[in-house]
Amino acid sequence: MFDAHAITISPVAMLALNASLLAFIGWALWRAEQRLTPASEWLLLALMGVFAVSGRVLLDPIPNVQPVTVIVILTGVHFGASRSIALAASIALVSNMILGHGLWTFYQALGWSAAGIFGAMISSRIYSEGSLNITRLAMASALAAFAFDWIVSISVLHTLSPELLPVYIISGIPFDLLHAAGNVAFVAWLAMPITDLMTRHSQTPSRTALRELAS
Amino acid sequence: MTSAENRLRVLSVFWLVFLLISAQSISIEFARISNLVLDDDDSHNGLPNDWDGMQVVCFNFPQGHAPEGYNDGRHHLDPSGVEKFFDPYWNETGLCVGGFEEFGNGLDLLQAAVSAGGHATVMEYTEYSGLGLMIDSFGGINPCEALACADDWSSGFSWTLYHNGLKSTIGVSALPLEGDSVVTWRIDSW
Repeated sequence: MFDAHAITISPVAMLALNASLLAFIGWALWRAEQRLTPASEWLLLALMGVFAVSGRVLLDPIPNVQPVTVIVILTGVHFGASRSIALAASIALVSNMILGHGLWTFYQALGWSAAGIFGAMISSRIYSEGSLNITRLAMASALAAFAFDWIVSISVLHTLSPELLPVYIISGIPFDLLHAAGNVAFVAWLAMPITDLMTRHSQTPSRTALRELAS
Repeated sequence: MTSAENRLRVLSVFWLVFLLISAQSISIEFARISNLVLDDDDSHNGLPNDWDGMQVVCFNFPQGHAPEGYNDGRHHLDPSGVEKFFDPYWNETGLCVGGFEEFGNGLDLLQAAVSAGGHATVMEYTEYSGLGLMIDSFGGINPCEALACADDWSSGFSWTLYHNGLKSTIGVSALPLEGDSVVTWRIDSW
């Protein structure tokens, strides 16, 4: 009997393999998007969800670096708060079905939904007159990284006393920094192509994006 | 694409790689800052915050002569022997067992710490009537086997007791404790 899967590869090689796989998935999704008719809003959001889940799962070996935060912010900017919340919660649930589902899924869904709402709130400052302000988006995504991590940190109150929360949050700052740096890198490399895709399908003018949630 | 966008691309990758490489050290340093008492004038300096005001026993082994698993910094164990924090940057090697309360006597506290420390704190001693205990080894580390003692005993090394940072003039079996005593054992020359 041969065990064809008994291959040991180093963590770096595994990471390179995962990054290649993510690039391949991204390319395939981009090709799939080209076959969509314009204004296929929910189909595009589904493709974004697939890419975000794949990114989170495949980049799991790198602590706190994943494309989800940037994708939900951009969804908030281009499609509004309600769609970004739907996407954020779905990504949290589906990716945690692979990475591990538990109480933290609720807080992650909450954190990413907050990032999406934040994107909708600042949409007119990030995207106006057909132009994406990369610098502002990079700053917003770095800020959102800290906000997301601190929202998820609240989940420790189920097991730790409240006075330990600041200690827990301070201990996590290096991981917050990683999240923020990862977000800025994703903004620098992916925000433009993702925005091109999203604007082709968005039916929600950015200025009405947040108002839509309130109505 | 503007040059600012290109610059952001390069810088973002640079910072990400830098953070990934240094994440472990930064994370340990943050854990030290947030978890430890950092006050040179406090006998609990370098120990976990939640042991502040409690009794602690530390065993410091010479570099390269620590029991297996304790050669890489200072480990901190709770009274049940569970490791709660590891500090690879502390300038002494070994372990501390802490979180004790209400021990009145040094020997009682030492026996509780030895019991929690497992193989690293197995204690061998010689009892001299009227003089108390002389520690021969902790964790199998005998000072004259680990470090060179003179054949004629004109000089050598021994396990030495410190109480709240000061060398104790009283043996461990007669040592009265305070509620927040820090008892340290380290090998000193004589």
